[in-house]
Amino acid sequence: MSRFEIYSPEGLRADGRRWNELRHIKCGINTHSKSADGSAVVEMGASKVVCIVQGPQEPETRSRVREKATLSVSVTVAPFSTTERSKHVTNDRRLQEMSANLQNLFEEAVLTHLHPRTEIVCSLTVIAQDGGLLSCCINAMTLALIDAGLPMYEYVSACSVALFDQTPLLDPNNVEETELASVTVGIVGETDKISLLILERRLGLDRLPPALELGVEGCKVLRQVMDKEVRRHGAMRLASRAE
Amino acid sequence: MSSIEQAFVQSLLEDQKRVSGRRLNEARKLELAFGGSYGHVEVKMGRTRLVAQVSSQVAKPRDDRPFEGLFLITTDVSSMASPRFENGRQTVDELMVTRLIEKAIRRSNALDLESLCIVAGQSCWMVRADVHYLEYDGGFIDASCIAVIAALLHFRRPDTSIDGSRTIVHTLDERPPVPLSVLHVPICVSWSFFDNDIIVVDADEAEQDLRIGSMTITINKDRDICQFTKAGKIPLSSQQIIECCEQAHGRAREITDLIHEKLKQDFEKRNRGNMGFDLAENDR
Amino acid sequence: MSSSDSENESDVEMILEKAGLVTPGEMITDDTIWMRGHGTYAADNVTYSAVAGTIERVNKLLSVRPLRGRYIPVIGDHVVGRITEVGNRRWKVDIGASQDAVLMLGSVNLPGGILRRKSDDDELQMREFLKEGDLLNAEIQTLYADGAAALHTRSLRYGKLRNGLFVQVPASLVLRLRTQVYRLEGGIEMILGINGYIWIRKATSTNANAAPMDVSINRLEQESNSMEIYKDENDPIPPSTRQTISRYANCIQALVYNEVGINEARLRAVYEASVVYTDAGELLDNTVKTDIVKQAMATL
Repeated sequence: MSRFEIYSPEGLRADGRRWNELRHIKCGINTHSKSADGSAVVEMGASKVVCIVQGPQEPETRSRVREKATLSVSVTVAPFSTTERSKHVTNDRRLQEMSANLQNLFEEAVLTHLHPRTEIVCSLTVIAQDGGLLSCCINAMTLALIDAGLPMYEYVSACSVALFDQTPLLDPNNVEETELASVTVGIVGETDKISLLILERRLGLDRLPPALELGVEGCKVLRQVMDKEVRRHGAMRLASRAE
Repeated sequence: MSSIEQAFVQSLLEDQKRVSGRRLNEARKLELAFGGSYGHVEVKMGRTRLVAQVSSQVAKPRDDRPFEGLFLITTDVSSMASPRFENGRQTVDELMVTRLIEKAIRRSNALDLESLCIVAGQSCWMVRADVHYLEYDGGFIDASCIAVIAALLHFRRPDTSIDGSRTIVHTLDERPPVPLSVLHVPICVSWSFFDNDIIVVDADEAEQDLRIGSMTITINKDRDICQFTKAGKIPLSSQQIIECCEQAHGRAREITDLIHEKLKQDFEKRNRGNMGFDLAENDR
Repeated sequence: MSSSDSENESDVEMILEKAGLVTPGEMITDDTIWMRGHGTYAADNVTYSAVAGTIERVNKLLSVRPLRGRYIPVIGDHVVGRITEVGNRRWKVDIGASQDAVLMLGSVNLPGGILRRKSDDDELQMREFLKEGDLLNAEIQTLYADGAAALHTRSLRYGKLRNGLFVQVPASLVLRLRTQVYRLEGGIEMILGINGYIWIRKATSTNANAAPMDVSINRLEQESNSMEIYKDENDPIPPSTRQTISRYANCIQALVYNEVGINEARLRAVYEASVVYTDAGELLDNTVKTDIVKQAMATL
């Protein structure tokens, strides 16, 4: 793909977005009410992740940590999530790393000390991948944890930013992500302070600040979108209960 | 670690002090020694001690990348380093060490894989870097990254030539060995987070046990961030993040210079030993 | 409402009004006179919500009740549970809370009289009484410091469950009432555990008489004398009763589907509305579920 196709001189990206536009976001809460305490689906463009939360519940193995709840996160990628069907990999190190990152991030946001000696099991399933996988997982997990009624300090929201020369591109899709270096930014609440920052490709230090700034703005928008969904769903529940 | 020790370390940190006497943003002194063979490096940081050995052999390139050689990094965290590690079983922390080194060096293209190609689609060099941990006192990520990159810079592979359809690998006696083409020198710097928003650079074992989270930045002399990992715990403003990157950059410059100087010393020593060899590459 | 509260009255109105619904991280109040209850947290003397839910207020205590969540045990609750583990002089019981509840060997009625000391023999035969997977109903006796519950079954109302069907619903949809055991039309009895675990069974003459509060000590002793109360086999249940049981189960699911809180009156009404569908299986259709619940709610 030529560089102009990624970001044209007129300021348009391959899918017609401007540099600071997110993809279409669709999120649903309480989507699997029968099978879990909390569940959510988040779609960012063509990426789609389902998160199921069980718990807090009796831990499967007696854990050493007694004074707070243990978060266990697992990420599964459906073999049909990419254009080329992949073989089912169970013990992928990349996914294990991602689970560990999610666990660390959410330990900051969930008030785990309120549920001592319990386990909160979060299972994420990636249904479709088109870039922004980690951010999609983070957003889905936030909604699922809220749906499960678990106490959290704030929403956790995340999005990624790719860099085309000096221009940061918000919420890159798969094509942009393969061509360009990108960072994933995650924040807890409506703040400018960054909780999660993951960068896996080479990027000049001096190009980082604009990317961080745009990423934080993107996260704030995502937080609003998620909050709207939680309120919509909550209002619906309250209405049916009032009858 | 007993809770009284934990309380001690934490209270010291809150007074901006550390058990080792270092300042919060002061890393431990790095010691670097090259061994007798090419590509053997021993790195010491405080009590942490590890060895990296780079080796090479001729192999068949991957079908989907016929013009590239192969590069593998293995890390061997055994119970030799510390009783906390179990042989043959990898904990999440060890996995993170392996992944980080891999991202810092392999995925940042520190080694030019195309230069390892001998005959496209037929044969190429396979370079292996094996890291062995001898003693554990925190900071595995930073130390192993330095060891691997220094070993790659130190390593010399045998020269090859092509005779018709045959690939000839010359022994060290026939032709002087060739250095690897290392494109840049990534250096990892890790920060540890503690309660009450305390941030500390290059934690030792006790501090690492107490920390609530960490952040690792890999950066080279040319101000390229190769890898950045921070997941949760203490939220930082972007100014703080840039500041940390600048600090990491300073340390990367120091360490890169140290590695180059040590390399120069080592090769001068070697050249004195066998004058017959022409090693013009040692000025890198 | 005490008089001292009146000065804050407008404040209260404001807090409750603004908050049909609050979400995590939303500020509830920056007034320090309030006590902070469940579902809230404080930072710099400002109270924030920690869950998505509705604000509730008892005198000076502000708490947020989550829209959904696991059952939180309260002393005196009548719950239905399932044995998960047989341990050292105690059973572990899943009651849908965040931790398994404990049922001590000393807190159950054993064959041979209510006030008998528990012997080593009893300890050896624990699996004869209750084993993994068995269902029982019980009352929450005490709560431990970490929020786990201890149960007791020291009444004929409580004990092992049989002759019926288990239905699980979100605990938030079970309405707290004076009693949780109902006799329903068609010779059916329902135990509506406050934890959202429901047992629907064929009403028998024994458990019919064992209606709440009128269990005489004599009867209790008579009954407890035999192993009858820990029997594993079902009584014969005619197909028509089975049909009725599953109809009730599906009616409960219909209420759940429509997010309507469950109580006796509503269930009866939905059951009546469902009679037009001759086969209980027809009630599984989502449009039917909505339909019968709508009809039922109109009659109430």
